[in-house]
Amino acid sequence: MRFTGSNVRTRRVAVVSTGIVSPLGFGLTETLDSLRAARDCVTRVVRFPVDRCRCKPAGQVADARLLTNRPKSRRGDRLHRASNMMISALQEALAQDQQFKPELTVIGTTSGGMSFGEDYYRSLHRHGTLRHAPAWIANYPPQKPVTDALEAFGISSACQVIANACASGTNAIGHAFECVRSGRYQSVLTGGYDALSELVFVGFDSLQASTPEKCRPFDRQRTGMVLGEGAAVLALEDLDSARGRGAHIFAEITGYGMSTDNHHLTQPDPSGIGPRTAMQQALESAKIEMQEVDYINAHGTATPFNDAAEAKAINALFTARVPVSSTKAMMGHSLGAAGAIEAVFCILSLQHQFLPANINFRTADEDVDLNIVANEPRPASIRTVVSNSFGFGGTNASIVIQQLRE
Amino acid sequence: MRVRIAGMGWVTPLGSGVLEVWDRLLRGEEAAARKISDPVGANTYTVFGVPDLALPDLPPHPRLRRASSISRFAAGAGLAALNDAGLTSNAEAAQRIALVFAISNGGVIYTKRFYHDIVAAGADTARPLLFPETVFNAPASHLAAIIGITGRSYTLVGDGAVGLFAIRMAEDLMANKELDYCLIVGAEEADWLLCDAYRKWRLLRSEPPIEPFRKPAKGMILSEGAGAILLGRKGPVQIDITHAGTHYSKRREAGESLKRVLRCVGPANSAIVIASANGTFIDEAEAHAVSEDLPEAIVYTPKIALGESVGAGSLWQVIVAALALRTGRLPPLLHVTSDIPFRVPTSSVNTTESDRAIVLSCGLNQQVAGLRLSI
Repeated sequence: MRFTGSNVRTRRVAVVSTGIVSPLGFGLTETLDSLRAARDCVTRVVRFPVDRCRCKPAGQVADARLLTNRPKSRRGDRLHRASNMMISALQEALAQDQQFKPELTVIGTTSGGMSFGEDYYRSLHRHGTLRHAPAWIANYPPQKPVTDALEAFGISSACQVIANACASGTNAIGHAFECVRSGRYQSVLTGGYDALSELVFVGFDSLQASTPEKCRPFDRQRTGMVLGEGAAVLALEDLDSARGRGAHIFAEITGYGMSTDNHHLTQPDPSGIGPRTAMQQALESAKIEMQEVDYINAHGTATPFNDAAEAKAINALFTARVPVSSTKAMMGHSLGAAGAIEAVFCILSLQHQFLPANINFRTADEDVDLNIVANEPRPASIRTVVSNSFGFGGTNASIVIQQLRE
Repeated sequence: MRVRIAGMGWVTPLGSGVLEVWDRLLRGEEAAARKISDPVGANTYTVFGVPDLALPDLPPHPRLRRASSISRFAAGAGLAALNDAGLTSNAEAAQRIALVFAISNGGVIYTKRFYHDIVAAGADTARPLLFPETVFNAPASHLAAIIGITGRSYTLVGDGAVGLFAIRMAEDLMANKELDYCLIVGAEEADWLLCDAYRKWRLLRSEPPIEPFRKPAKGMILSEGAGAILLGRKGPVQIDITHAGTHYSKRREAGESLKRVLRCVGPANSAIVIASANGTFIDEAEAHAVSEDLPEAIVYTPKIALGESVGAGSLWQVIVAALALRTGRLPPLLHVTSDIPFRVPTSSVNTTESDRAIVLSCGLNQQVAGLRLSI
């Protein structure tokens, strides 16, 4: 099915503000510095014991700084750190545009406040104290960090929380984009978040999808992913409305594609049909040709199968040697947050005219014939970027982000 | 653009099949309680479980070999909704169907088993086969694979109101005319761990019955199953209006949030209101909103007979609302022990004078939504 939105009312969709928290830093300025320095922000996990895991590293957000941003109240003390990440990201976005009033909020995640569920189960299992159980239970659900963040800033809009595994963040942005583009909403807050949890960390470890070594996307010796965490939000608005009130416009979202690959619950169809369809739909939705794409921020988890399928898809669709990098090597794979965080990276790339690096890259893989932005960021003249996210369940999502066209 | 309900599917503790369950509700039946035990704390809980015999026959599909109950419930309800609309499964048709899956607790049984190994014996004993089934979108992925959906498939997470959020999302998707249908499925599976959590949250009742609108509230009984609504361009019941949803901060504010939703989807004095009252604080909030804004309405909640199925709950309400409009009947509201400040059906009643039904949903974790149907 061609779900390109070509037959619906078409509004242009502006990004009027954005905020981010990730292992690369708090806020756009620190994030930009880290991207330009191609900083490796992956460290040994400190939040839970990893002695009995194959893999020990992950990208982690510093707790001390998160805590300084949380609401100063008894209720604030009970919030999950995922809520604090969302609050930090939203605070930055709203500081840039205080007039932005979302009619709808669409946020992606995979596991919400999972670590509270873990605390609860551990206490139960060990017959330990359950004094905190009601707070753990109340703050565990995946929609809670979103409502916490909205509440912190007095926003009462509906929130749709998408849990499409690792594609959640891009799905959220894509759906929000379509909501504004169709004219059904004028302003939608979107993004994604996820906080590291033991269950998910051990899950990827048990599948041997994660690596005890460096994360090397698209490298011949890639051995898997490392996990990460963070949150990012983007405020989307009808371009005419945003211009009308004199809002600063960071970029435009112009296209979205999504496909469902029914090959396997955890493995992509090796032909790359899922990613290819998502990217193709995104280009059609944006009404652009593949030659116009200046950079692809790849999903690039560094697992052998995923990178091979994505590379196959890119090569099948793009005849030109479009530059590609996976920024996950710098900060890990933040799952439901990844699509949103990487969208912010793309916006920074467009604003500052550079291509973020695919660090830890050593050896080209003959099966992955891509123009990799290896190890160092590159200055570049770019107008149009594609950001990919693919996830368990066969979910594939791509968005097109462009500099504002007149 | 208005969308219509083209098909429905239902898997409940009272049976599966839309008309079968509806007949039993009209007869005043309620689900049978089942005891489940907590091997950790040696506690016993009561749930309304889906009996094995109630689960519809499912096609042999490799995705269902290891799938958990929640995925089976979802597949049963989803396929029934397609069948109800006369849709046969074929690749071409499936490409024009989107899937929106509503979920709250998700695959809790596999999640608990997976994490239990980590807690009991260490991370190196974790079973990789279980992990993928713990992911929230695993049931949606299985259903998409069974039906052959290759396009839009979203899993929405939330509390008991998530089904209405899913309908709203489906409406947004249906703005694209390239899409013929959107299948909305809500599903949940019951487990002692959830019972323990809701008990510690002081929302669970140890034994049935659930008493609606009782003061003070005595608590709910957890249940499981799935509900599916197929939205299309044609069908007997129309979705007039959906509220995008909102959220309340404190429980005492839930009633005011519901009133805001009610004012958007109402007013319709002759309307039936299908409420989400489940024996908890929600009852008082809904009573507050309905008695002030729709004092003439007749109010029914299916959660008394079927239990609180959380992620599936608000889709069950929509099914009840659509059936009430189609059949002109409303089942009796069981176990009424308090004075209620609005009309409730104490026996199965004729509602043919009502051509509109409002569905109100207030979740246990701050989310509120509503919609109005007409025939």
